[in-house]
Amino acid sequence: MYASFHDQVIAILPKLRVQALALARNRAAAEDLVQDAVCNALSGQNSFVPGSNFAAWMHRILRNRFISNLRKRRDTTDIDDVPASVFASEAPHEDRLALKELAKAMVRLPADQREALVMVVIHGTSYEALADATGCAVGTAKSRVFRARRQLAAWLLGEQPDIVGAAPRRDRLHRPIPREMVVGTMRSPL
Amino acid sequence: MTRRKQSTASVLPVSQRKGGGEVPSLAAFNDWLQRGLHQLFDAVVREPIPEEVLRLIEEDRKK
Repeated sequence: MYASFHDQVIAILPKLRVQALALARNRAAAEDLVQDAVCNALSGQNSFVPGSNFAAWMHRILRNRFISNLRKRRDTTDIDDVPASVFASEAPHEDRLALKELAKAMVRLPADQREALVMVVIHGTSYEALADATGCAVGTAKSRVFRARRQLAAWLLGEQPDIVGAAPRRDRLHRPIPREMVVGTMRSPL
Repeated sequence: MTRRKQSTASVLPVSQRKGGGEVPSLAAFNDWLQRGLHQLFDAVVREPIPEEVLRLIEEDRKK
């Protein structure tokens, strides 16, 4: 016996909101995207086969809606949408700065990489489920997560590929690295 | 400036810094990234669902 269609929609809403925020980059656009996706799902519920992968079906609807919205208009959303909780936290000032830089760097990622990284990290989505939800091969899903991590590391650690004879270029997003991230590092020889 | 020989344990290319210095490992960065993303997104997961979305679903359910 399967949960009702409407109950499944309600149950998946928290995950949809995270996916929407990863794609849309700010809260207002994300909330609109979720609402639009829910409307699409309700309109198309007769096309859903009970017992099949509802999560993948729903995530794809949201993703397709996002792509459709992009094609209709140029995305001019504000990129500086850092959660208020970051600033309200009791974390040390340096850590809050680092979080703000992370938020900015996330916005710079391509949407598919951002979406993939967030779904894997926040919800523990498997690569297979991620591939189902985003309509790509498992290898592509893995690649998106890997590239997202690598790109964020490059931006946030300020490590850029060396040009022969040049010192490492410090990316403009580079800030002092929180001490907790330096634990376990290697000391380079003089 | 000579390039530092890449450590076999290193995943990312490591650049030599003047006067030496600590180079964060990829594992340390990924741990920090995991915590940072949770700080940015967990609040969204915990928030109540907007009433208008729930209303849409419930109105459709009654049809």
